[in-house]
Amino acid sequence: MVDVLHEIEAAVPALRRYARALTRDLDRADDLVQDCLERAIARRGLFRPKGPIRAWLFTILVNVHRNNLRGARRRGDMVDLEAIPEPSVPAPQPGHLALAELDRAIGALPLEQKEALLLVTLEGLPYAEAASILDIPLGTLMSRLGRARATLKTLTGAPSEPHLRTVK
Amino acid sequence: MSAVTRDTLMAYVDGGLPPAERTRVEAYLAETPEAAADIALMQRQTDAIRTLYGPVAAEPVPAHLSVDTLARKAEGARRRTWMNLAAALVLLAVGLGGGWMLRGQSDTPNIADRLIAEAVSAHTVFVAEKRHAVEVAGNDSEHLSSWLSNRLQTNLAMPDLSAQGLDFLGGRLLPAPEVPGGRAAQLMYEDASGARLTLYVTPSPGPNAPRYELANLGLDTALFWADNVISCTITAPYSAEKLQAIAHTVFAQLNPTMPAYES
Repeated sequence: MVDVLHEIEAAVPALRRYARALTRDLDRADDLVQDCLERAIARRGLFRPKGPIRAWLFTILVNVHRNNLRGARRRGDMVDLEAIPEPSVPAPQPGHLALAELDRAIGALPLEQKEALLLVTLEGLPYAEAASILDIPLGTLMSRLGRARATLKTLTGAPSEPHLRTVK
Repeated sequence: MSAVTRDTLMAYVDGGLPPAERTRVEAYLAETPEAAADIALMQRQTDAIRTLYGPVAAEPVPAHLSVDTLARKAEGARRRTWMNLAAALVLLAVGLGGGWMLRGQSDTPNIADRLIAEAVSAHTVFVAEKRHAVEVAGNDSEHLSSWLSNRLQTNLAMPDLSAQGLDFLGGRLLPAPEVPGGRAAQLMYEDASGARLTLYVTPSPGPNAPRYELANLGLDTALFWADNVISCTITAPYSAEKLQAIAHTVFAQLNPTMPAYES
């Protein structure tokens, strides 16, 4: 039991990171993590370690987040203005501006694509683990990843490669 | 050699390929500049996402997210739940005892007393709930009305008690082995002071059921009423007089097709 708590504790920084990227909001992200931890702690007796505890925690987080969004939709919550993508302008140079644009683009991704993309890129999880967290087949995961990357490319205007340009 | 698909390229970027596959993809990239550009773009996306959000994991974890603190809080909450449950059982016993004392001439508690006991125990269990007091919230009153009506197989309107200072919180479906259909609806209301009133509505228990009973259960008063269509038990921490006044409004609205209530 104590070991489970230690393992949960070790996962908190990663859960906060993932929640922050999902919500792009510090308070909402930490509320989400708190909800997730409370559930995990209350149900840790039910957890049978057939996989990493990290995957179980991410599954809870994703489900809590989806539930929150469902509730928000029913209440007719306000839309984050920032989440509405601006017309894409090719970034003149890589750097801060491009990151802000990417942040907005990620906010504009459909939820299922965003969940998959962030598990694989930000958290660096193997495809199989990400697919099991989201409870989808591997092929579905890869198609969501592919679509997410294509959407990001469109929204951020796929900057031209700055380093490899040939000089004539 | 099979073709290098987009999925394979993506898996290459995401580190999901075995070494032999990696070598094959690298050979392909060397002679396919467009694929190399695709890969570079995907890699830049990954790097940028990590630059954007990666630092969050290095921030100190706020105190309220400490697993230790949360675990201690959960332990406390569990103990409180057990105490609530114990309190509910005591009250249920009181309710059943009350029913026994009300049994009148017959030897077994009559159906009204058994329904009152069910209603009081359901009342005690669910009014204590802060977050899950009701299954369907009162703001969805039309859905609730048709759902409960279907389940109870009788026409059930949600009474509006705002004139009595009671807000409608919502309702839930409960098992009721005592009555035909085996189901009861519990509707919950709350006044400005936070006191809660419940209606426990079932299909009519039958033509021989008593029409009306009042039970005083210490803190709560319960008022039972039945006709040929439904029975309803009102439970609230109110005086008998106040409950009777509310009952007039409830019975008039609960089933618009039935005759006016007379005490």
